[in-house]
Amino acid sequence: MFKKHGILKELVANRLMFLMLLPTLLFFLINSYTPMVGIYYAFTQFDFNTSLFNSQFVGLKNFEFLWKSGVLLKLTLNTIGYNIAFILLGNVLAIALAILLSELKTQWFKKTTQSIMFLPYFVSFVILSVIVYNVFNYESGFLNTTLAKFGAEPVDVYNTPWIWIFLIILFYLWKNLGYSMVIYLATITGISDEYYEAAKIDGANIFQRVWYITVPMLKTTFVMLLLFALGSIMKGQFDLFYQLVGNNGMLYNTTDILDTYVYRSLKVTFDIGMSTAAGLYQSLFGFILIMTVNYIIKKINSDYALF
Amino acid sequence: MKIKEESSMKWFRLIAFAVIVLSSAACLFPFLLIVSASLTQNEAIIRDGYNLIPTVFSLEGYETVFRFPQQVLRAYGVTAFTTVAGTALGLFFMTMAGYVLQRKDFKYRNFFSFMIYFTTLFGGGLVPWYILMTKYLKLTDTMTVLIFPGLMTPFLIILMKNFIRSAVPDEVIESAKIDGANDFTIYSRIVLQLSMPGIATVGLFLALQYWNDWFTSSLFINDTTKYQLQYYLYNVINAMSFVAQMGAGTGVSLGDMPTESTKMAMSIIVTGPILFLYPFVQRYFVKGLTIGAVKG
Amino acid sequence: MTKKATKAVAALLSFVILTVMLAACSGSNGGGSGGSGNATNSPKDSETAGSGTGTGSDGEQTGIDLSKEVELQFYMLGDAPKDIAIIQDEINKMAKEELNATVKFNYTSWTDWDQKYKLLLGSGQQVDLIFTAEWTQYQSYAKKGAFQPLDELLPKAAPALYEFVPQDMWEAVKIDGSIYTVPATYKEYVTDGFVWREDLRKKYDLPKPVDIPTFEQYLEGIKKNEPTMTPLSMNSDVKTNLMDRFRGISHSPIGALPYGIGIYYDKPTEVYSYWGSDEQLQDLETMKRWQDNGYMVKNVLAVKDTLQDQITSGKAAAILGDNPTRFNDMVIKIQASHPEWELGYHPYPLTNGIATPVHPIHNGFAVPASSKNAERALAFYEKMVTDKRYNLLTQYGIEGKNYEVVDGYYTMIGDTSSNGFPREGMNGWAWRNPEYMLFDKNYDGVKAIFDELDKIQVPDKFTGFAEDYTSYQAERAALEQVEKQYLFPLNAGLVKDVKQGLETFMEKAKQAGLEKIQEEYTKQWLQYVEEQGIK
Repeated sequence: MFKKHGILKELVANRLMFLMLLPTLLFFLINSYTPMVGIYYAFTQFDFNTSLFNSQFVGLKNFEFLWKSGVLLKLTLNTIGYNIAFILLGNVLAIALAILLSELKTQWFKKTTQSIMFLPYFVSFVILSVIVYNVFNYESGFLNTTLAKFGAEPVDVYNTPWIWIFLIILFYLWKNLGYSMVIYLATITGISDEYYEAAKIDGANIFQRVWYITVPMLKTTFVMLLLFALGSIMKGQFDLFYQLVGNNGMLYNTTDILDTYVYRSLKVTFDIGMSTAAGLYQSLFGFILIMTVNYIIKKINSDYALF
Repeated sequence: MKIKEESSMKWFRLIAFAVIVLSSAACLFPFLLIVSASLTQNEAIIRDGYNLIPTVFSLEGYETVFRFPQQVLRAYGVTAFTTVAGTALGLFFMTMAGYVLQRKDFKYRNFFSFMIYFTTLFGGGLVPWYILMTKYLKLTDTMTVLIFPGLMTPFLIILMKNFIRSAVPDEVIESAKIDGANDFTIYSRIVLQLSMPGIATVGLFLALQYWNDWFTSSLFINDTTKYQLQYYLYNVINAMSFVAQMGAGTGVSLGDMPTESTKMAMSIIVTGPILFLYPFVQRYFVKGLTIGAVKG
Repeated sequence: MTKKATKAVAALLSFVILTVMLAACSGSNGGGSGGSGNATNSPKDSETAGSGTGTGSDGEQTGIDLSKEVELQFYMLGDAPKDIAIIQDEINKMAKEELNATVKFNYTSWTDWDQKYKLLLGSGQQVDLIFTAEWTQYQSYAKKGAFQPLDELLPKAAPALYEFVPQDMWEAVKIDGSIYTVPATYKEYVTDGFVWREDLRKKYDLPKPVDIPTFEQYLEGIKKNEPTMTPLSMNSDVKTNLMDRFRGISHSPIGALPYGIGIYYDKPTEVYSYWGSDEQLQDLETMKRWQDNGYMVKNVLAVKDTLQDQITSGKAAAILGDNPTRFNDMVIKIQASHPEWELGYHPYPLTNGIATPVHPIHNGFAVPASSKNAERALAFYEKMVTDKRYNLLTQYGIEGKNYEVVDGYYTMIGDTSSNGFPREGMNGWAWRNPEYMLFDKNYDGVKAIFDELDKIQVPDKFTGFAEDYTSYQAERAALEQVEKQYLFPLNAGLVKDVKQGLETFMEKAKQAGLEKIQEEYTKQWLQYVEEQGIK
């Protein structure tokens, strides 16, 4: 009763604000929350002739394939490992680039380079994988033909698993830096010039100005990007891994992540139950991770947390 | 003091310049390969691989894509419409939401933020959503289905919220309220203008999302006149590779199907318009829009 | 914040529960995906039969209720031809009059088609007719109840069709004793055969590849004389394109068997495990030899080009196994781009005597469980197949506008850019009628091969088998992973110590549950063999 009393009061007092928020809420209600009932599929044996709630309940059977192959731990570690690298390196470099770019004065140069650095975002991984093959393949790749010209031994990149840890991170950065950089750049642009003027008068040089003004201002954005990335830590980047590694089993030990594993396993069946189960595992993992990290951040500074 | 500042600035600028140039080159290089490949004869690509200069020049990639010009133009039209409409609508809703969610006096902002964010963690999967769209909302083959699902994402909403929070100081809102403005007026007169860089950024990302979308067409559109551009292009390529694989054996040679060159040409065609859009958006990343807001 | 958090979570949960309840209500009202009531609709229709009979152009009585006008949703894979709207109108003119029904032709396109196929069947949306084939997992879907059984509907709703298709074909498409699809009656072969550059063979006086040893000699010859070419055209799918083909010509298996099972064509009741056997060890050693000798590229597991593209572009010189139709397509292609080249073909059946024509399941049309118009759908499909007007319209388009018949051959009017309906533009492989079919002159080459194969044809004993993998689906998914990671490199000849590699693979496979899978599969197979009386 107390809750209802409180909400109603809020609603009336701030009705305009609620109204402004309403379309968004409705959207998520319809588009995301209604289909959520489908999570129940994860616990049923799918059958074409019965509706969802009449389907046979099979408990955790659909989750079995995840641990039967014995690679679940390795997959989880790979996924987390890569994502940490992506998040840390990605954001640090994006911040650095955004800061560097924001301090340059020549307009046309800034505009052109920004556009250029945004280009990789549009190159789909399908195409990237073809280009990579052209550079690294053993017989006729760009790398080996160049090495041959200098009399060096050719390198078999595609059959060497550990190199790919670096390559995958490199390609991820190549594709996504432009995108993240734009976000940081926009935040930097919003920082009032007054702060910098004041600092200059106080005698701070450029490095000090960057470190004491710009970087702290970017903290909120960084945390936001971090939390989003963590939430989808178990699911993201499918395209990257699938296109670049594909069917090359030699590389799976170091490059297989949960998403690609699930995709391959379920390609041979069309069981909605199993795929929903896999999705649920990923969701739960991300959920626990997020709640923990958000809680920690809230303790440090409640303004920065997502909620 | 001035001299010290100048030299450290100079070093900084130099480093910045070098780094940016290197990064740009790294980003540009593969792209040049794609451009070159799009102008190369398909056979030559399979045989000789990718080179900066086409080994055998040919426009067959582009020809294949534009083989049916009216269809391509129509797809462009559909995508242009969904992008503009979707971005405009989406921005309208999201800026309102972002504004409300960052207001410290809005008691339930954390609850709603969490509710929105929660949808990125859990989902029912493809099948329930598909059933919802087709069976219950009956949105198959409509323009609505191309626009609706993409209107907002939690990521962009929270991004918007952060932009607004850092661009609009609380004092501004306070002073406006004292002057008697209601929430909507504050939003439209003050917030929108002050958060321009943020709105431009979110708008850009949203537009990109609509421009690149092929998934909704794939699932829900049977009417070929409503295909989005990316989907149409994907189809061109997939049809070629699948027919080749199937050996559908129609017996009639459907001509040479230059899969690789077409893939490359398609990349270029799709990226083109966006490259033109970006400089316009950059205009809004201008400093100084925020100066003097409090004083005024 | 914890108090607020609990409140938030509580509110959220109650919300979700509310939605779940709402959905459950609508679900159990029969509106949910599939609805158990749908499959019983057909008998209801038949109860009111007698009121109004069909008046087909040949005056037959179809004996079904035509009083309600319906629109049939017809789903086919791939893309529709440009003139589809015109053809659809022409068809509907006739169908409305003769069957009080109109049809809408829908196409899934080739993008993500298997995803869409899954959704079309699984979401319970209204689909009345849909394409089936073994490569669209017909057997699995049928076993799981995705389609309606047609045994009783056929004689009633489509008697002419029922008679037109031979009885042994109806038997061949039965799953668990019921007919779930209408098979196509056109006989063709998709058996494999060696493909090679004949002009190069003559140039360097190499032997004609008719079996593995001669094929190897050919590859060696190419390696020596054409250093820039890759002798063997191969890509990352080393299972289908390499191992299965290799086994096909070396051991005469009964079909492309999964899970490393081994069954010889002439001994269907003897089941052994190919994986881990000496037979496999030998085969893998051969693959290693091929890799070491440079017949395949080292990074073959990363190659995405199609086998055919590599030949037609001149990058590679031979394919281990391909079917006659694709071979013919390659021949036509190079005739235009490289007339001085020649391609040679030797079908496996000529060497091992096993020529199996395409299984009836290969092209078929089914009525999904969600359809409420099963009878009308079948009646319509009967027209598509047996009525010449419907058939020619949907296979070739409008005579005089899209095609002409010259000397008994199909001839396209205009070219692929201007013509709105190329031959079989609606992808009508399933409703081909051998009596009405028209062929392009270019197809004669394939026909010649088919004629040769006809002389030694034997029945396909394997494709009719539908395994039920529900009891081992977890292991099955896990096994996929192990195969890709440990077996593929062996297949590609990239593992230095083959024996050791094979042992490792077997160990991992057993961990994933290989033995359970093989046991269960063998049990089902032997049961199938006994029921069908396969010898």
